[in-house]
Amino acid sequence: MRKRLGLLLAALAVFVLCFGGLAAAEEKVYINGIDFGFPPFGFVDKDGKPSGFDVESLNWIAKKMGFKVKHQPMDWDGIIPALLAKKIDIIASGMSATAERAKKVDFSIPYYEVTQVLVVPEKDNTSLADILHSGKKIGVQRGTVTAKLLEELVTKPGYKFEVVPYDSTDLSLEDLKIGRIAGSGMDSTIAKEAMKNPGYKIAGTFDAKPEKYGYAMRKEDKEFQKKINEGLKLLMADPYWKELKAKYGL
Amino acid sequence: MDGYVKAALAIWEGLPYILGGLWWTAGLIIGAMGLGLLFGIPLAVAHVYGGKAMRRFVSAYIWLFRGIPILVQLYLFYFGIMAYLSEIPALSFLPLSSGFLSAVLVLGLTSAAYQSQIFRGAIQGLPPGQLKAARALGMSDATAIRAIILPQALRLAIPAWSNEYSILLKDSALAFTIGVLEVMSRTRSVAAVTHQPLPLSLLAGALFFFLTWAGIKALKRLEAKVRIPGYAHQGSL
Repeated sequence: MRKRLGLLLAALAVFVLCFGGLAAAEEKVYINGIDFGFPPFGFVDKDGKPSGFDVESLNWIAKKMGFKVKHQPMDWDGIIPALLAKKIDIIASGMSATAERAKKVDFSIPYYEVTQVLVVPEKDNTSLADILHSGKKIGVQRGTVTAKLLEELVTKPGYKFEVVPYDSTDLSLEDLKIGRIAGSGMDSTIAKEAMKNPGYKIAGTFDAKPEKYGYAMRKEDKEFQKKINEGLKLLMADPYWKELKAKYGL
Repeated sequence: MDGYVKAALAIWEGLPYILGGLWWTAGLIIGAMGLGLLFGIPLAVAHVYGGKAMRRFVSAYIWLFRGIPILVQLYLFYFGIMAYLSEIPALSFLPLSSGFLSAVLVLGLTSAAYQSQIFRGAIQGLPPGQLKAARALGMSDATAIRAIILPQALRLAIPAWSNEYSILLKDSALAFTIGVLEVMSRTRSVAAVTHQPLPLSLLAGALFFFLTWAGIKALKRLEAKVRIPGYAHQGSL
Protein backbone atom coordinates (compact mmCIF):
# COMPACT_ATOMS: atom_id res chain seq x y z
CA MET A 1 0.00 0.00 0.00
CA ARG A 2 2.75 2.34 1.05
CA LYS A 3 4.67 1.52 -2.11
CA ARG A 4 1.66 2.40 -4.22
CA LEU A 5 1.25 5.72 -2.44
CA GLY A 6 4.89 6.54 -3.14
CA LEU A 7 4.39 5.74 -6.77
CA LEU A 8 1.32 7.93 -6.92
CA LEU A 9 3.21 10.81 -5.31
CA ALA A 10 6.07 10.38 -7.75
CA ALA A 11 3.67 10.43 -10.69
CA LEU A 12 2.06 13.56 -9.27
CA ALA A 13 5.45 15.19 -8.88
CA VAL A 14 6.32 14.44 -12.48
CA PHE A 15 2.97 15.85 -13.58
CA VAL A 16 3.48 19.06 -11.61
CA LEU A 17 7.03 19.41 -12.92
CA CYS A 18 5.81 19.07 -16.48
CA PHE A 19 3.18 21.74 -16.11
CA GLY A 20 5.46 23.92 -14.02
CA GLY A 21 7.91 23.71 -16.91
CA LEU A 22 5.18 24.71 -19.33
CA ALA A 23 4.24 27.73 -17.26
CA ALA A 24 7.84 28.84 -17.04
CA ALA A 25 8.29 28.43 -20.77
CA GLU A 26 5.50 30.85 -21.51
CA GLU A 27 7.88 33.64 -22.41
CA LYS A 28 8.20 32.89 -26.10
CA VAL A 29 11.65 31.92 -27.28
CA TYR A 30 11.98 32.27 -31.04
CA ILE A 31 14.26 29.74 -32.64
CA ASN A 32 16.52 30.86 -35.42
CA GLY A 33 17.51 28.11 -37.83
CA ILE A 34 21.00 28.81 -39.04
CA ASP A 35 23.45 27.29 -41.45
CA PHE A 36 26.56 27.03 -39.32
CA GLY A 37 28.59 26.48 -42.43
CA PHE A 38 28.10 29.98 -43.76
CA PRO A 39 30.68 32.44 -42.46
CA PRO A 40 30.64 35.34 -41.93
CA PHE A 41 26.82 35.27 -41.69
CA GLY A 42 26.53 32.20 -39.50
CA PHE A 43 29.18 29.94 -38.03
CA VAL A 44 30.44 28.60 -34.72
CA ASP A 45 33.34 30.34 -33.04
CA LYS A 46 36.31 28.63 -31.42
CA ASP A 47 34.33 27.96 -28.24
CA GLY A 48 31.53 26.36 -30.21
CA LYS A 49 29.13 29.25 -29.72
CA PRO A 50 26.82 30.44 -32.50
CA SER A 51 28.39 33.48 -34.03
CA GLY A 52 28.34 35.60 -37.13
CA PHE A 53 26.79 38.67 -38.66
CA ASP A 54 23.21 37.37 -38.71
CA VAL A 55 23.47 35.88 -35.22
CA GLU A 56 24.63 39.15 -33.69
CA SER A 57 22.14 41.18 -35.70
CA LEU A 58 19.22 39.06 -34.55
CA ASN A 59 20.45 39.10 -30.94
CA TRP A 60 20.45 42.89 -31.08
CA ILE A 61 16.95 42.99 -32.58
CA ALA A 62 15.63 40.52 -30.01
CA LYS A 63 16.98 42.61 -27.16
CA LYS A 64 15.56 45.80 -28.63
CA MET A 65 12.14 44.33 -29.39
CA GLY A 66 11.87 42.36 -26.17
CA PHE A 67 11.89 38.71 -27.14
CA LYS A 68 14.26 35.83 -26.64
CA VAL A 69 16.08 34.07 -29.45
CA LYS A 70 17.92 30.75 -29.66
CA HIS A 71 20.11 29.74 -32.58
CA GLN A 72 19.62 26.20 -33.82
CA PRO A 73 21.98 24.68 -36.38
CA MET A 74 20.25 23.23 -39.43
CA ASP A 75 21.35 21.58 -42.59
CA TRP A 76 20.76 24.02 -45.45
CA ASP A 77 18.83 21.52 -47.58
CA GLY A 78 16.18 21.11 -44.91
CA ILE A 79 16.06 24.61 -43.52
CA ILE A 80 12.83 25.80 -45.21
CA PRO A 81 11.00 22.52 -44.47
CA ALA A 82 12.10 22.98 -40.85
CA LEU A 83 10.58 26.47 -40.80
CA LEU A 84 7.31 25.25 -42.29
CA ALA A 85 7.23 22.30 -39.87
CA LYS A 86 7.63 24.80 -36.99
CA LYS A 87 10.92 23.35 -35.85
CA ILE A 88 12.27 26.86 -36.12
CA ASP A 89 10.58 30.29 -36.27
CA ILE A 90 12.93 32.32 -38.42
CA ILE A 91 15.86 31.86 -40.76
CA ALA A 92 18.42 34.61 -40.33
CA SER A 93 21.29 32.95 -42.07
CA GLY A 94 22.35 34.76 -45.21
CA MET A 95 19.30 33.64 -47.15
CA SER A 96 18.55 35.20 -50.51
CA ALA A 97 14.98 36.43 -50.80
CA THR A 98 14.21 34.71 -54.10
CA ALA A 99 10.78 34.80 -55.72
CA GLU A 100 10.60 31.01 -55.57
CA ARG A 101 11.26 30.92 -51.84
CA ALA A 102 8.82 33.79 -51.30
CA LYS A 103 6.04 31.49 -52.50
CA LYS A 104 6.52 29.41 -49.35
CA VAL A 105 7.79 31.92 -46.81
CA ASP A 106 7.69 35.67 -46.18
CA PHE A 107 10.90 37.65 -46.10
CA SER A 108 11.86 40.60 -43.96
CA ILE A 109 13.02 43.84 -45.52
CA PRO A 110 16.32 43.25 -47.38
CA TYR A 111 19.48 43.98 -45.41
CA TYR A 112 22.30 42.94 -47.70
CA GLU A 113 23.02 42.60 -51.41
CA VAL A 114 25.29 40.10 -53.08
CA THR A 115 26.36 39.17 -56.59
CA GLN A 116 27.35 35.79 -58.02
CA VAL A 117 30.98 35.27 -58.93
CA LEU A 118 33.20 32.55 -60.31
CA VAL A 119 36.33 31.68 -58.35
CA VAL A 120 39.27 30.17 -60.25
CA PRO A 121 42.88 29.30 -59.39
CA GLU A 122 45.12 32.35 -59.20
CA LYS A 123 47.31 31.17 -62.07
CA ASP A 124 44.37 30.66 -64.43
CA ASN A 125 43.85 33.55 -66.84
CA THR A 126 40.71 32.26 -68.60
CA SER A 127 37.86 34.76 -68.38
CA LEU A 128 34.43 33.94 -67.02
CA ALA A 129 32.91 34.14 -70.50
CA ASP A 130 35.47 31.71 -71.87
CA ILE A 131 34.84 29.16 -69.13
CA LEU A 132 31.09 29.36 -69.72
CA HIS A 133 31.61 28.29 -73.32
CA SER A 134 34.48 25.87 -72.86
CA GLY A 135 32.55 22.76 -71.85
CA LYS A 136 34.55 22.64 -68.61
CA LYS A 137 33.23 21.71 -65.19
CA ILE A 138 32.02 24.34 -62.72
CA GLY A 139 31.49 23.41 -59.09
CA VAL A 140 28.79 24.87 -56.86
CA GLN A 141 27.12 24.22 -53.51
CA ARG A 142 23.87 22.31 -53.91
CA GLY A 143 20.64 24.16 -53.23
CA THR A 144 22.11 27.66 -53.46
CA VAL A 145 21.05 30.53 -55.65
CA THR A 146 24.30 30.20 -57.57
CA ALA A 147 23.49 26.56 -58.30
CA LYS A 148 20.13 27.57 -59.71
CA LEU A 149 21.68 30.32 -61.77
CA LEU A 150 24.21 27.91 -63.27
CA GLU A 151 21.60 25.26 -63.98
CA GLU A 152 19.49 27.79 -65.85
CA LEU A 153 22.44 29.25 -67.68
CA VAL A 154 23.63 25.88 -68.95
CA THR A 155 20.36 25.25 -70.79
CA LYS A 156 20.61 28.53 -72.71
CA PRO A 157 21.81 28.36 -76.30
CA GLY A 158 25.50 29.02 -76.79
CA TYR A 159 26.54 28.14 -73.27
CA LYS A 160 28.59 25.02 -72.77
CA PHE A 161 29.78 23.86 -69.37
CA GLU A 162 29.00 21.18 -66.80
CA VAL A 163 27.58 21.87 -63.32
CA VAL A 164 29.05 19.74 -60.55
CA PRO A 165 27.07 19.93 -57.28
CA TYR A 166 28.91 19.78 -53.95
CA ASP A 167 27.86 19.51 -50.34
CA SER A 168 29.64 22.74 -49.51
CA THR A 169 31.56 25.45 -51.30
CA ASP A 170 34.66 24.40 -49.41
CA LEU A 171 34.59 20.95 -50.93
CA SER A 172 34.29 22.44 -54.42
CA LEU A 173 37.34 24.58 -53.64
CA GLU A 174 39.23 21.40 -52.68
CA ASP A 175 38.43 19.97 -56.10
CA LEU A 176 39.34 23.26 -57.75
CA LYS A 177 42.72 23.09 -56.04
CA ILE A 178 43.50 19.71 -57.60
CA GLY A 179 42.05 20.67 -60.96
CA ARG A 180 38.97 18.43 -61.18
CA ILE A 181 36.87 21.48 -61.96
CA ALA A 182 37.73 24.72 -63.78
CA GLY A 183 35.96 27.08 -61.41
CA SER A 184 33.59 27.33 -58.46
CA GLY A 185 30.52 29.54 -58.46
CA MET A 186 29.46 31.28 -55.26
CA ASP A 187 28.11 34.41 -53.57
CA SER A 188 30.45 37.38 -53.52
CA THR A 189 30.48 37.20 -49.71
CA ILE A 190 31.60 33.59 -49.66
CA ALA A 191 34.19 34.38 -52.31
CA LYS A 192 35.56 37.07 -50.01
CA GLU A 193 35.90 34.45 -47.27
CA ALA A 194 37.51 31.97 -49.63
CA MET A 195 40.05 34.55 -50.73
CA LYS A 196 41.45 34.45 -47.20
CA ASN A 197 43.23 31.32 -48.40
CA PRO A 198 45.87 32.09 -51.00
CA GLY A 199 45.74 30.62 -54.49
CA TYR A 200 42.32 31.81 -55.70
CA LYS A 201 40.95 34.77 -57.56
CA ILE A 202 37.62 35.92 -58.98
CA ALA A 203 37.35 35.35 -62.73
CA GLY A 204 34.28 37.51 -63.06
CA THR A 205 30.76 38.33 -61.92
CA PHE A 206 27.79 36.52 -63.44
CA ASP A 207 25.36 38.61 -65.39
CA ALA A 208 22.42 38.27 -63.04
CA LYS A 209 20.33 40.52 -60.84
CA PRO A 210 22.05 41.03 -57.48
CA GLU A 211 20.21 39.08 -54.84
CA LYS A 212 19.00 40.50 -51.58
CA TYR A 213 19.33 38.79 -48.24
CA GLY A 214 16.35 38.75 -45.90
CA TYR A 215 15.16 36.83 -42.86
CA ALA A 216 12.61 34.16 -43.72
CA MET A 217 9.51 33.61 -41.60
CA ARG A 218 6.27 31.66 -41.85
CA LYS A 219 3.56 33.44 -43.80
CA GLU A 220 1.07 33.25 -40.96
CA ASP A 221 3.36 34.86 -38.36
CA LYS A 222 2.43 38.40 -39.39
CA GLU A 223 2.97 39.91 -35.96
CA PHE A 224 6.44 38.42 -35.63
CA GLN A 225 7.33 39.69 -39.11
CA LYS A 226 6.30 43.19 -38.08
CA LYS A 227 8.48 42.98 -34.98
CA ILE A 228 11.45 41.76 -36.99
CA ASN A 229 11.09 44.40 -39.70
CA GLU A 230 10.81 47.15 -37.12
CA GLY A 231 13.86 45.82 -35.28
CA LEU A 232 15.82 45.48 -38.51
CA LYS A 233 15.04 49.08 -39.44
CA LEU A 234 16.19 50.26 -36.02
CA LEU A 235 19.36 48.20 -36.31
CA MET A 236 20.24 49.50 -39.75
CA ALA A 237 19.82 53.06 -38.52
CA ASP A 238 22.00 52.41 -35.47
CA PRO A 239 25.78 53.03 -35.45
CA TYR A 240 26.12 49.39 -34.34
CA TRP A 241 25.17 48.25 -37.87
CA LYS A 242 28.29 49.85 -39.33
CA GLU A 243 30.37 48.40 -36.54
CA LEU A 244 29.01 44.92 -37.19
CA LYS A 245 29.63 45.17 -40.92
CA ALA A 246 33.20 46.25 -40.30
CA LYS A 247 33.71 43.42 -37.80
CA TYR A 248 32.71 40.79 -40.34
CA GLY A 249 34.30 42.47 -43.34
CA LEU A 250 31.03 43.01 -45.21
CA MET B 1 54.73 24.02 -45.44
CA ASP B 2 52.26 26.80 -44.87
CA GLY B 3 49.50 24.35 -45.77
CA TYR B 4 50.48 21.89 -43.04
CA VAL B 5 50.60 24.63 -40.44
CA LYS B 6 47.11 25.79 -41.46
CA ALA B 7 45.81 22.23 -41.37
CA ALA B 8 47.30 21.58 -37.93
CA LEU B 9 45.92 24.87 -36.67
CA ALA B 10 42.44 24.07 -37.99
CA ILE B 11 42.47 20.72 -36.19
CA TRP B 12 43.82 22.22 -32.99
CA GLU B 13 41.28 25.03 -32.89
CA GLY B 14 38.36 22.85 -33.79
CA LEU B 15 39.28 19.97 -31.51
CA PRO B 16 37.47 20.98 -28.28
CA TYR B 17 34.25 21.72 -30.15
CA ILE B 18 34.38 18.55 -32.22
CA LEU B 19 35.25 16.43 -29.17
CA GLY B 20 32.13 17.84 -27.52
CA GLY B 21 30.20 16.10 -30.28
CA LEU B 22 31.32 12.72 -28.90
CA TRP B 23 28.67 13.01 -26.17
CA TRP B 24 25.95 13.40 -28.78
CA THR B 25 27.32 10.59 -30.92
CA ALA B 26 27.55 8.36 -27.84
CA GLY B 27 24.00 9.33 -26.89
CA LEU B 28 22.75 8.43 -30.36
CA ILE B 29 24.52 5.06 -30.25
CA ILE B 30 23.47 4.10 -26.73
CA GLY B 31 19.90 5.22 -27.36
CA ALA B 32 19.65 3.45 -30.71
CA MET B 33 21.38 0.24 -29.59
CA GLY B 34 19.14 0.14 -26.52
CA LEU B 35 15.97 0.76 -28.50
CA GLY B 36 17.09 -1.83 -31.04
CA LEU B 37 17.64 -4.36 -28.28
CA LEU B 38 14.34 -3.55 -26.62
CA PHE B 39 12.39 -4.14 -29.84
CA GLY B 40 14.78 -6.58 -31.50
CA ILE B 41 14.44 -9.37 -28.91
CA PRO B 42 10.62 -9.52 -28.93
CA LEU B 43 10.65 -9.31 -32.73
CA ALA B 44 13.08 -12.22 -32.90
CA VAL B 45 11.04 -14.32 -30.45
CA ALA B 46 7.88 -13.51 -32.38
CA HIS B 47 9.58 -14.47 -35.62
CA VAL B 48 10.76 -17.85 -34.33
CA TYR B 49 7.92 -18.91 -32.02
CA GLY B 50 5.02 -16.77 -33.16
CA GLY B 51 2.28 -17.93 -35.46
CA LYS B 52 1.88 -17.10 -39.11
CA ALA B 53 0.40 -13.65 -38.47
CA MET B 54 3.22 -12.75 -36.11
CA ARG B 55 5.82 -13.85 -38.60
CA ARG B 56 4.14 -11.73 -41.28
CA PHE B 57 4.15 -8.72 -39.03
CA VAL B 58 7.85 -9.11 -38.19
CA SER B 59 8.70 -9.58 -41.85
CA ALA B 60 6.78 -6.45 -42.79
CA TYR B 61 8.54 -4.50 -40.06
CA ILE B 62 11.96 -5.67 -41.23
CA TRP B 63 11.21 -4.94 -44.88
CA LEU B 64 10.00 -1.47 -44.04
CA PHE B 65 13.00 -0.39 -42.01
CA ARG B 66 15.60 -2.21 -44.06
CA GLY B 67 14.12 -0.98 -47.30
CA ILE B 68 14.19 2.77 -46.69
CA PRO B 69 17.52 4.60 -46.55
CA ILE B 70 18.28 6.10 -43.13
CA LEU B 71 18.58 9.56 -44.66
CA VAL B 72 15.04 9.34 -46.07
CA GLN B 73 13.75 7.99 -42.77
CA LEU B 74 15.35 10.87 -40.88
CA TYR B 75 13.55 13.35 -43.10
CA LEU B 76 10.25 11.47 -42.86
CA PHE B 77 10.41 11.34 -39.08
CA TYR B 78 11.78 14.79 -38.38
CA PHE B 79 9.86 16.85 -40.93
CA GLY B 80 6.89 14.53 -41.22
CA ILE B 81 5.73 12.36 -38.33
CA MET B 82 7.26 14.38 -35.50
CA ALA B 83 6.13 17.70 -36.94
CA TYR B 84 2.62 16.27 -37.28
CA LEU B 85 2.63 14.94 -33.70
CA SER B 86 3.83 18.26 -32.32
CA GLU B 87 0.59 19.84 -33.57
CA ILE B 88 -1.30 17.79 -30.97
CA PRO B 89 -1.54 19.86 -27.77
CA ALA B 90 -1.73 16.81 -25.48
CA LEU B 91 1.74 15.76 -26.61
CA SER B 92 3.34 19.15 -26.10
CA PHE B 93 5.33 17.93 -23.08
CA LEU B 94 7.36 15.61 -25.33
CA PRO B 95 10.52 17.00 -26.96
CA LEU B 96 9.08 16.32 -30.41
CA SER B 97 10.99 19.02 -32.20
CA SER B 98 14.32 17.65 -31.03
CA GLY B 99 16.40 16.29 -33.89
CA PHE B 100 18.11 14.02 -31.38
CA LEU B 101 14.87 12.22 -30.55
CA SER B 102 14.04 11.69 -34.22
CA ALA B 103 17.54 10.38 -34.89
CA VAL B 104 17.46 7.94 -31.95
CA LEU B 105 14.05 6.65 -33.05
CA VAL B 106 15.09 6.18 -36.68
CA LEU B 107 18.43 4.57 -35.86
CA GLY B 108 16.87 2.47 -33.07
CA LEU B 109 13.90 1.21 -35.05
CA THR B 110 16.12 0.38 -38.03
CA SER B 111 18.61 -1.33 -35.77
CA ALA B 112 15.75 -3.32 -34.23
CA ALA B 113 15.06 -4.76 -37.67
CA TYR B 114 18.67 -5.87 -38.06
CA GLN B 115 19.09 -6.94 -34.43
CA SER B 116 15.96 -9.09 -34.63
CA GLN B 117 17.65 -11.07 -37.39
CA ILE B 118 20.82 -11.41 -35.34
CA PHE B 119 18.83 -12.80 -32.40
CA ARG B 120 16.69 -14.96 -34.65
CA GLY B 121 19.83 -16.58 -36.02
CA ALA B 122 21.16 -17.12 -32.51
CA ILE B 123 17.90 -18.66 -31.29
CA GLN B 124 17.65 -20.95 -34.29
CA GLY B 125 21.28 -21.92 -33.81
CA LEU B 126 20.44 -23.52 -30.47
CA PRO B 127 19.75 -27.27 -30.45
CA PRO B 128 15.99 -27.71 -31.01
CA GLY B 129 15.64 -30.30 -28.25
CA GLN B 130 16.06 -27.69 -25.52
CA LEU B 131 12.52 -26.37 -25.73
CA LYS B 132 11.12 -29.90 -25.68
CA ALA B 133 13.24 -30.74 -22.63
CA ALA B 134 12.02 -27.63 -20.86
CA ARG B 135 8.42 -28.53 -21.62
CA ALA B 136 9.03 -32.01 -20.30
CA LEU B 137 10.18 -30.43 -17.04
CA GLY B 138 6.82 -28.66 -16.85
CA MET B 139 7.96 -25.21 -17.91
CA SER B 140 5.66 -22.99 -19.90
CA ASP B 141 6.95 -21.89 -23.29
CA ALA B 142 7.30 -18.31 -22.07
CA THR B 143 9.38 -19.36 -19.07
CA ALA B 144 11.50 -21.66 -21.19
CA ILE B 145 12.23 -18.90 -23.70
CA ARG B 146 13.04 -16.42 -20.96
CA ALA B 147 15.09 -18.72 -18.73
CA ILE B 148 16.67 -21.17 -21.14
CA ILE B 149 16.67 -20.00 -24.75
CA LEU B 150 17.35 -16.26 -24.47
CA PRO B 151 20.23 -16.40 -21.97
CA GLN B 152 22.11 -18.65 -24.37
CA ALA B 153 21.04 -16.93 -27.56
CA LEU B 154 21.95 -13.45 -26.33
CA ARG B 155 25.45 -14.64 -25.44
CA LEU B 156 25.86 -16.22 -28.85
CA ALA B 157 24.65 -13.04 -30.53
CA ILE B 158 27.38 -10.78 -29.12
CA PRO B 159 29.88 -11.11 -32.02
CA ALA B 160 27.22 -10.31 -34.63
CA TRP B 161 25.90 -7.63 -32.33
CA SER B 162 29.27 -5.86 -32.28
CA ASN B 163 29.06 -5.77 -36.06
CA GLU B 164 25.74 -4.01 -35.75
CA TYR B 165 27.36 -1.55 -33.35
CA SER B 166 30.01 -0.51 -35.84
CA ILE B 167 27.44 -0.07 -38.62
CA LEU B 168 25.13 1.94 -36.41
CA LEU B 169 28.00 4.15 -35.31
CA LYS B 170 28.68 5.18 -38.87
CA ASP B 171 24.99 5.60 -39.68
CA SER B 172 24.72 7.96 -36.70
CA ALA B 173 26.86 10.46 -38.62
CA LEU B 174 23.80 11.10 -40.83
CA ALA B 175 22.08 12.82 -37.91
CA PHE B 176 23.85 16.03 -38.93
CA THR B 177 21.16 16.47 -41.59
CA ILE B 178 18.55 17.24 -38.93
CA GLY B 179 20.73 19.47 -36.81
CA VAL B 180 22.04 17.07 -34.15
CA LEU B 181 25.36 18.47 -32.96
CA GLU B 182 27.25 15.19 -33.17
CA VAL B 183 30.82 14.70 -34.37
CA MET B 184 30.05 14.97 -38.08
CA SER B 185 27.96 18.13 -37.93
CA ARG B 186 30.54 19.85 -35.73
CA THR B 187 33.29 18.83 -38.12
CA ARG B 188 31.38 20.42 -40.98
CA SER B 189 30.87 23.62 -39.00
CA VAL B 190 34.57 23.93 -38.21
CA ALA B 191 35.49 23.12 -41.80
CA ALA B 192 33.26 25.96 -42.99
CA VAL B 193 35.10 28.48 -40.83
CA THR B 194 38.65 27.24 -41.34
CA HIS B 195 38.26 26.18 -45.00
CA GLN B 196 40.17 22.99 -44.22
CA PRO B 197 37.69 20.18 -44.98
CA LEU B 198 40.32 17.49 -45.55
CA PRO B 199 42.33 17.67 -42.30
CA LEU B 200 39.08 17.91 -40.36
CA SER B 201 37.66 14.89 -42.14
CA LEU B 202 40.81 13.08 -41.06
CA LEU B 203 40.09 14.10 -37.48
CA ALA B 204 36.46 12.96 -37.71
CA GLY B 205 37.65 9.69 -39.24
CA ALA B 206 40.07 9.17 -36.36
CA LEU B 207 37.32 9.81 -33.81
CA PHE B 208 34.92 7.34 -35.43
CA PHE B 209 37.74 4.83 -35.73
CA PHE B 210 38.45 5.21 -32.03
CA LEU B 211 34.77 4.77 -31.13
CA THR B 212 34.54 1.64 -33.26
CA TRP B 213 37.70 0.19 -31.76
CA ALA B 214 36.70 0.99 -28.16
CA GLY B 215 33.16 -0.33 -28.61
CA ILE B 216 34.22 -3.59 -30.23
CA LYS B 217 36.87 -4.08 -27.57
CA ALA B 218 34.29 -3.56 -24.82
CA LEU B 219 31.93 -6.04 -26.48
CA LYS B 220 34.76 -8.61 -26.77
CA ARG B 221 35.31 -8.22 -23.04
CA LEU B 222 31.63 -8.70 -22.41
CA GLU B 223 31.65 -11.78 -24.59
CA ALA B 224 34.51 -13.31 -22.59
CA LYS B 225 32.91 -12.36 -19.31
CA VAL B 226 29.49 -13.90 -19.91
CA ARG B 227 30.83 -16.99 -21.68
CA ILE B 228 29.54 -20.19 -20.13
CA PRO B 229 32.62 -22.25 -19.17
CA GLY B 230 32.83 -25.58 -20.94
CA TYR B 231 29.94 -24.71 -23.21
CA ALA B 232 30.71 -24.86 -26.88
CA HIS B 233 28.18 -23.97 -29.49
CA GLN B 234 26.77 -26.41 -31.98
CA GLY B 235 27.55 -30.00 -32.63
CA SER B 236 28.89 -30.69 -29.19
CA LEU B 237 25.56 -31.08 -27.44
